[in-house]
Amino acid sequence: MSLRKQTPSDFLKQIIGRPVVVKLNSGVDYRGVLACLDGYMNIALEQTEEYVNGQLKNKYGDAFIRGNNGRPR
Amino acid sequence: MDQQTTNTVEEPLDLIRLSLDERIYVKMRNDRELRGRLHAYDQHLNMILGDVEETVTTIEIDEETYEEIYKSTKRNIPMLFVRGDGVVLVAPPLRVG
Repeated sequence: MSLRKQTPSDFLKQIIGRPVVVKLNSGVDYRGVLACLDGYMNIALEQTEEYVNGQLKNKYGDAFIRGNNGRPR
Repeated sequence: MDQQTTNTVEEPLDLIRLSLDERIYVKMRNDRELRGRLHAYDQHLNMILGDVEETVTTIEIDEETYEEIYKSTKRNIPMLFVRGDGVVLVAPPLRVG
């Protein structure tokens, strides 16, 4: 990871294709490969697994997460 | 916010478009889940779903044993407008195993 200044959109291009963890305000974790995202932080993941405390559901294929859910209120 | 044209990288919303007229699974706030056929959607994730089954899940805690009792309530709705701000996640229907 470089420490030079980059714009947010550069960062977003960099992390596409990597395995990521998406934490939602509800406390649920989604682990998957980042397929794409947009400026509203809507996210498309592949091979997603949903974790609440232990593992609950498995989602294969694409999962779309609405961008407003990433921060607790 | 910048809008991307169709000849650049697809947005997540473009990929939802591929699910039009397919059955999808929608996870909503307040422990609600929907399974239905996606007829329409917009950038807010407002959606029109047909032939929908809604599942509301509640957890009751027994006062004496402190065990968690999961209860779910289902209902069927032929045609439904979903307001996008309640949507958490959209996916193809869950497959078991």
